[in-house]
Amino acid sequence: MSKRGIKGAIKALCAPLLLMLNGCSKSGLYLLEPEGTISRVTHHYFNLDVGIMLLIIIPTALLSVWAMWRYRKGGGGSYRPDWSHSWFIEAVVWGIPLITVGVLSYLSVKAIYKVNPYNPGALAHQEAAAGKPLEVDVIVTDWRWLFIYPGQRIASVNHLVLPVGVPVHFRLTSTSVVNDFIIPQLVGMIDVIPGMRTKQTLEASKTGHYVGFSADYSGAGLSWMNFETQTVTKAKFAQWVKKTQAAPHNMTDAAFNLFAKPYISIDHRPMVFGHVQSGLFDYVVHEVMSGKVWPTPTAMTENMVKYMNKQQANVKAGDY
Amino acid sequence: MSSTTDTRIQPGSTVLWDKGDAAGHDILGTRTFGFWLYMLTDAMVYAAFFAAFGVLAHNAGLNSKSVLAAVFNAQGAYRETIALFASVLAYGYAMVALKKGSRSGVAVGTVVALVLGLVFLGMVSGDMERLFGQGIVPQSNGFLSIVFTLIIYHALHIIVGAIWMLVMLAQMGRDGFTSNVVYRLINLRIFWHFQAVIWVFIFVFVYLQGKVI
Amino acid sequence: MFVHLQGPWNPVWGRLSLQAIPYHNPILVGTFLFAVVIALAAVGAVLYFRAGPYLWREWLTTVDHKKIGVMYCLLGLVMLFRGFADALMIRTQQAIAVGPHSPGYLGALHGYLTPFHIGQVYTAHGLIMVVFAATPLLVGIMNIIVPLQIGARDMAYPYLNALGFWLTAAAAGLVMLSLFVGNFAHGGWYGFLPYFELPYSPGVGVDYWMWAFQLSAVGTTLGSINLIATIVKMRAPGMTWMRMPIFTWASLSTNLIALTSFPVLMVSLALLGLDRYFGTHFYTAGNGGNLMLYNDLFWVWGHPEVYFLILPAFGMMSEIIPTFSEKTLFGYTTMVVASFAIGGVSWGVWLHHFFTMAAEPSVNSFYSVTTMLVGIPTGVKVFNWIFTMYRGRVRFELPMMWAVLALFLLLVGGMSGMMNAFAANDYMWHNGVFVVAHFHMMVLLIAASIFGAVEYWFPKIFGFKLEQRWGKWFFWFMVLGTAWVFVPMFILGFTGMTRRLDYVPYTQWAPYLRVMLVGMAFYVIALVFFFAHLYVSLRDRVKNRVGADPWGTSRNLEWMTHSPVPAYNFAYIPHVHARDEWAWRKENGVASLANESFEDIHMPRNTGVPVLLGALSFVLCFGLIWRIWWLSAASLALVVLVIIVRSFARNTDEVITAKTVAGVEGAVDDALPSAARG
Ligand code: HEA
Ligand code: HEA
Ligand code: CUA
Ligand SMILES: [Cu+2]
Repeated sequence: MSKRGIKGAIKALCAPLLLMLNGCSKSGLYLLEPEGTISRVTHHYFNLDVGIMLLIIIPTALLSVWAMWRYRKGGGGSYRPDWSHSWFIEAVVWGIPLITVGVLSYLSVKAIYKVNPYNPGALAHQEAAAGKPLEVDVIVTDWRWLFIYPGQRIASVNHLVLPVGVPVHFRLTSTSVVNDFIIPQLVGMIDVIPGMRTKQTLEASKTGHYVGFSADYSGAGLSWMNFETQTVTKAKFAQWVKKTQAAPHNMTDAAFNLFAKPYISIDHRPMVFGHVQSGLFDYVVHEVMSGKVWPTPTAMTENMVKYMNKQQANVKAGDY
Repeated sequence: MSSTTDTRIQPGSTVLWDKGDAAGHDILGTRTFGFWLYMLTDAMVYAAFFAAFGVLAHNAGLNSKSVLAAVFNAQGAYRETIALFASVLAYGYAMVALKKGSRSGVAVGTVVALVLGLVFLGMVSGDMERLFGQGIVPQSNGFLSIVFTLIIYHALHIIVGAIWMLVMLAQMGRDGFTSNVVYRLINLRIFWHFQAVIWVFIFVFVYLQGKVI
Repeated sequence: MFVHLQGPWNPVWGRLSLQAIPYHNPILVGTFLFAVVIALAAVGAVLYFRAGPYLWREWLTTVDHKKIGVMYCLLGLVMLFRGFADALMIRTQQAIAVGPHSPGYLGALHGYLTPFHIGQVYTAHGLIMVVFAATPLLVGIMNIIVPLQIGARDMAYPYLNALGFWLTAAAAGLVMLSLFVGNFAHGGWYGFLPYFELPYSPGVGVDYWMWAFQLSAVGTTLGSINLIATIVKMRAPGMTWMRMPIFTWASLSTNLIALTSFPVLMVSLALLGLDRYFGTHFYTAGNGGNLMLYNDLFWVWGHPEVYFLILPAFGMMSEIIPTFSEKTLFGYTTMVVASFAIGGVSWGVWLHHFFTMAAEPSVNSFYSVTTMLVGIPTGVKVFNWIFTMYRGRVRFELPMMWAVLALFLLLVGGMSGMMNAFAANDYMWHNGVFVVAHFHMMVLLIAASIFGAVEYWFPKIFGFKLEQRWGKWFFWFMVLGTAWVFVPMFILGFTGMTRRLDYVPYTQWAPYLRVMLVGMAFYVIALVFFFAHLYVSLRDRVKNRVGADPWGTSRNLEWMTHSPVPAYNFAYIPHVHARDEWAWRKENGVASLANESFEDIHMPRNTGVPVLLGALSFVLCFGLIWRIWWLSAASLALVVLVIIVRSFARNTDEVITAKTVAGVEGAVDDALPSAARG
């Protein structure tokens, strides 16, 4: 390996890193810009984890470069071909990783309990103080998000509105296949599983607009399956609820059976329902558990665009 | 400490090469060792099936009491057990005969084992037919899917074992106790005993436990 | 008895019809033409040189572990090429299809691949790279080297060895066939349930995936039985456990993993098959099925599988680094212990592939900790390699360069792996491209070790060294490509970008995606250099002819026989006196290979049965995929029949006479490097 070769390699390795500099806070590095209570805790532990790992990886890398350089053929290092064992070194090379993993394990377990989706330690304090949390039921179809606010008896499609400073409890289920619910700047992932109910908890700390999407492959519509999360003040939230309650559409069990048919959200058509039949969430879980499926037509997987054009025509005709 | 670890060379007395045909490794030992390894993979397959059974058994409640009672016909299973164990015993006697080098002994033992194995198969398939006749099928729900799969997978092994026995009878007749025939007979013993062991698991975890569910 | 299908079916052709041939897709038609040209060229060459009988006699029917190993490697290389073509398509699609205003071609809304098509591309890429490129390459190298390293004349079961290879080849053939007849699964290489159930994946794609996977699993399991038995039973006299070369130890640990984990994979796939063919309810969401059962079963195989891939790679590094440091491996015993520790722990970590599935925090904690434990033995390995170089005389020849690259990739991949294992982090980027970047560091480490191992052992098998100049260009452009593709991918990981996107909705990610395209260009150039490397090496093969020990500082038994290795490996089986026997003999001045008198050698005879069984399994699976029941039934019956008939065969061995041996031994010219002359 020539000197020039090494230099070239280092330069080439660094060039892509420079990319990081051209973005400011709107670079889209969502995981590094947490804006919710949970995501901030996650980020804190992320920093600790990375720091500790770097503390061991960087010296290891340097040590190996040094050894290669110092003991290259024709270099100055002393040559001891039969040296192959040292109790001291063996103890150190087992010991250091052991201790590091010990520390990391401790932190990891702590972090898991802090951000546990079902009952996050990080929110324990707020939960007690804030009184009643907001309940949201999430039903995922192929390939849309239906957010039901059971307390308010309203629902919204692909658009999630949350008040700031209030813990939000989600219950999630899916009509067909597994999806994964995430709003990177507010909270991490939780699987959304057909025939089952999972939970998630979050609290937004600022007003703003955030992206959310599905992270588990769920079929042709996955790439378009993102939703907007809007966090607003409590007062604005109350206003929004009022306005939505006045919306004409009704989400009943029957309406849901139509709604749940495969649909790709390329148009991101927002939709709100002023009234939701109570118990819809449990109805869906139960239906799926008893074997109901909303199958994907072959034509849809294999020729999405053609199928969608047909679908758009249907939408105009009043179907979902 | 270098590569020279232990031995220092003794000129003249150090053997460097093995003259003589080392291809004559212990053939019997190597063959049966490999077969044990194969049995281990089969055991892993069964282990995975039983794990699936453990998971899906939570949904046994989807079936009515009468369906469960029909499936877990422990008395029938008990009769099946006896047939299979007798077959294994007969094959055990064949192995005793093999030690003595008695061709007829091996043949008789194998034939008896074969017949008893077929009796077992007949009972199992009769049981299946009865259930299918009552509309109790693997397609009904996840729990029945795994129950039937376990039983049928085991039955497939019995079929393979039966074919194997026929082949061995033929080979023994043609070649006598050549090393190929002997290691195959020994491997068949391992295989056959293993099916009995698995059946014990099926009997205990599926039939008896199913009775309790 | 069988389930109801969308679309037509008839008893003669099953689901097969002319529609199954994707003649309307220009990409596939182009690929097809390319394949036809290659196939015609190959067949033409065979006919022109009248090589048919030779190929059949010497290669297709061979039971020689070295030739089977070489065929494994060739299969792996071809599939590596295919996998690379897939990677090119993924990267170009994602560079074009960014933002709602990005253009669309060939019937796609954005980019030039529809979701259905790109889904097949990455599914095939993942499966091919893991199961049909990396695995055959590693198995091939183990197949060649392990018997040599333990001083055996062949594997324990040469016939089974050939069978394992042909089953793997048949499986790879199925994946290739899916390009032109029907389609492939489109949901990811490890399968998603219930997405892979009939209602959501109604086509034959999943069936192709399932049967190819299943068949290769059978092949690999047979291979692992063979390697373990070989190592346990076939070692040369004097080779005690603690004198075994480290690569052999790595092979043993890795095949123990394969032996115990592949059966679980078979079950996970078989239950899916029952669901798809018979309508059972193992993995359905309703009717008492349990889709998480699939995740558990699959990853109980899937995680050990990645260590199945990495352990032989570690073994290769552990052979190359001492040779080119001109020094004994540091901490041999710890290396052995570490290999088995990695293999052992690998059984208890699988849940880290679905931390987000709402398991209890105590459960996630458990698996987070066990996963991180793997870092300890792996770290020990890294440090031992460093201390092997320490006080050595490090020569940076090509194999060493690859090994060093592998070491650095391990640091990056291990660091990111540990970050995944920290479950709270994984909640943020599970199924994101950060994970993709993590495992590509690891799999590229494997690729690097393989390239290193090929450079290292090539002269042993073929009798001449590969040239170094183009090889170095190839190396450096692989480094460049890797940096430019995967550094941006790590950064994208922090955006939260998810995997398997057909279309990228957020335009602020575009710059990274474009830079990655530059990286792909480097890879393409690297490929050109690879071919130059190959061509020049073949051209200069006489000039680069070498003797038994071309590197001069190698240490193990395999360097104690001629290059290329004769069919019977060793005219006489060596007696082993030390851990690095060859180094020991060189030090003690007994490094001569010359023998005077020879004896007859018994070897297994070549046989066409394994090829036949491979072909029949191929037809069997093809019939199952297209639900042509009569075809499957017939080929299954034939398989059983062939096995039975073969078991009656009597003359399966042949003798290489002493005279032949003497002739072969007399003809080889072992231009021993001076170090070896003692
Ligand atoms: C061993 C495994 C392996 C290897 C080596 C690679 C190699 C590469 N992979 Fe792959 N990849 C996977 C395993 C592997 N991958 C898996 C398992 C997935 C997940 C699939 C899924 O989502 O389900 C994946 C997914 C995956 C994606 C993610 C798609 C997505 O989900 O968004 C991408 C995207 O860039 C990618 C790119 C690449 C690239 C650029 C390389 C490059 O490094 C390739 C470089 C290789 C070469 C340059 C080869 C040169 C060829 C030769 C030298 C042979 C020539 C010989 C002859 C012709 C005889 N891979
Ligand atoms: C050969 C392949 C290979 C290897 C060796 C590894 C090694 C490791 N992997 Fe990786 N992994 C994959 C291939 C591999 N992985 C693949 C293919 C996937 C995804 C499949 C898919 O979804 O398609 C995956 C996914 C994956 C996940 C799931 C992510 C997700 O889907 O959300 C996790 C989570 O824990 C993980 C962790 C690890 C860890 C901790 C290691 C460890 O073994 C790493 C250990 C190494 C080191 C730590 C570095 C060296 C050590 C030192 C220098 C000492 C100092 C270090 C310490 C003190 C810690 N991997
Ligand atoms: Cu529900 Cu895992
Ligand atoms: Cu893993």
